[in-house]
Amino acid sequence: MQYVLSFMKAWSRLLLLCAFLSVPAASFAQAATKPKATAPAAAPAPAAVAPAADAPPSTEAAPAADAATAEAAPSAPDAASPPPDTRGLDQEVQGLKKDVVDLNRELFVLEEELLFPANTQVAVFVSMDVGDFFALDSVTLKIDQKEVINYLYTPREVEALLKGGVHRLYLGNLKVGKHELVAFFSGKGPNDRDYKRGATLKFEKGIGAKYLELKINDRQRKQQPEFEVKDWE
Amino acid sequence: MQRLCLAAVTFCAPAMADTSYPLKAHEAPDFALHAIAGGNVRLSEHRGDVVILSFWGSRCTPCREQLEALNRTLATYRSAGLQVYGINVDDDQTRALAYAHGESVTFPLLLDPEKSVSRSYQVDNLPMTLLIDRNGVVRNVIRDYNAKSEELFLQQLRALLNE
Repeated sequence: MQYVLSFMKAWSRLLLLCAFLSVPAASFAQAATKPKATAPAAAPAPAAVAPAADAPPSTEAAPAADAATAEAAPSAPDAASPPPDTRGLDQEVQGLKKDVVDLNRELFVLEEELLFPANTQVAVFVSMDVGDFFALDSVTLKIDQKEVINYLYTPREVEALLKGGVHRLYLGNLKVGKHELVAFFSGKGPNDRDYKRGATLKFEKGIGAKYLELKINDRQRKQQPEFEVKDWE
Repeated sequence: MQRLCLAAVTFCAPAMADTSYPLKAHEAPDFALHAIAGGNVRLSEHRGDVVILSFWGSRCTPCREQLEALNRTLATYRSAGLQVYGINVDDDQTRALAYAHGESVTFPLLLDPEKSVSRSYQVDNLPMTLLIDRNGVVRNVIRDYNAKSEELFLQQLRALLNE
């Protein structure tokens, strides 16, 4: 319930921020267009009014003033008014964008906490070391004899694993008690032959979150890959 | 005025034809499939490229013609950031493999034996070709292949590559 409330609060904050973001964006657009539209009308006013005040009131004075405004209009803004300083506004928009990104992250964490609470959460990771004897193609994961995921690895992903990356293969929920995990690894083994091996782990899920790691290592002595499931305590 | 009407018809006609495709203007569903030549391909890894997905069957003659045309297109626009994938929807994969080994198509031909990708893209015709922009959004679909549709397709592709 607490998660739901905080989730909803975060959402409402995000919506409010989005509303605020749209206002500066609009004012920014106005600020950018304003000098062109309004400044010419304001700037030539004194020049146009002064001769009209000195001259005797007549019917010809008004058209003369209009003509003066029309002539002065295009040239005045370039010389008189400096370009508007929008740096402050830009910084404000950047700050708001950062707030949105932070809120989005907060929402993501809350969503995960809501969908996968710590007392039922189980996460399975894949890591790979060296990889001389095995080129990973896919991993099929079964928990309690039920297939939960079959993941195909692209060459880029394999490269990332070989560089030390760890891939979160599965995130789900399990009730407290004993469970069995079976992982099937397929790919190319030594001498470029099709290779498929399995690894099993029986584990007990406690109250806290459970983290398991599927490790692929090279066993130099046997010239074979080795697959192991590690339980992170 | 006549030119304006002609332009309107030219631009509106394909749009009207594609309105029935529900994934148009939506994010393309991500997938990972085995390639016949080896390795796996994941669509989301190609964000930033314009991607053409062509669903084909080995018994479909226009599909083969289109694959050959796409091969020529790829040769022209590869340097501009174009990726082409042919997704085979055959039940019997041996025919697809025979075709792949016999033809000189340079882009990856992918296998979808469980039809999961075909289902997610709601393939209702063969050949069916999708144009996906650099942001991963489905921009257009072509359900029938002929010289006229190919010309139109190339126009749309050029526009996407210029975006």
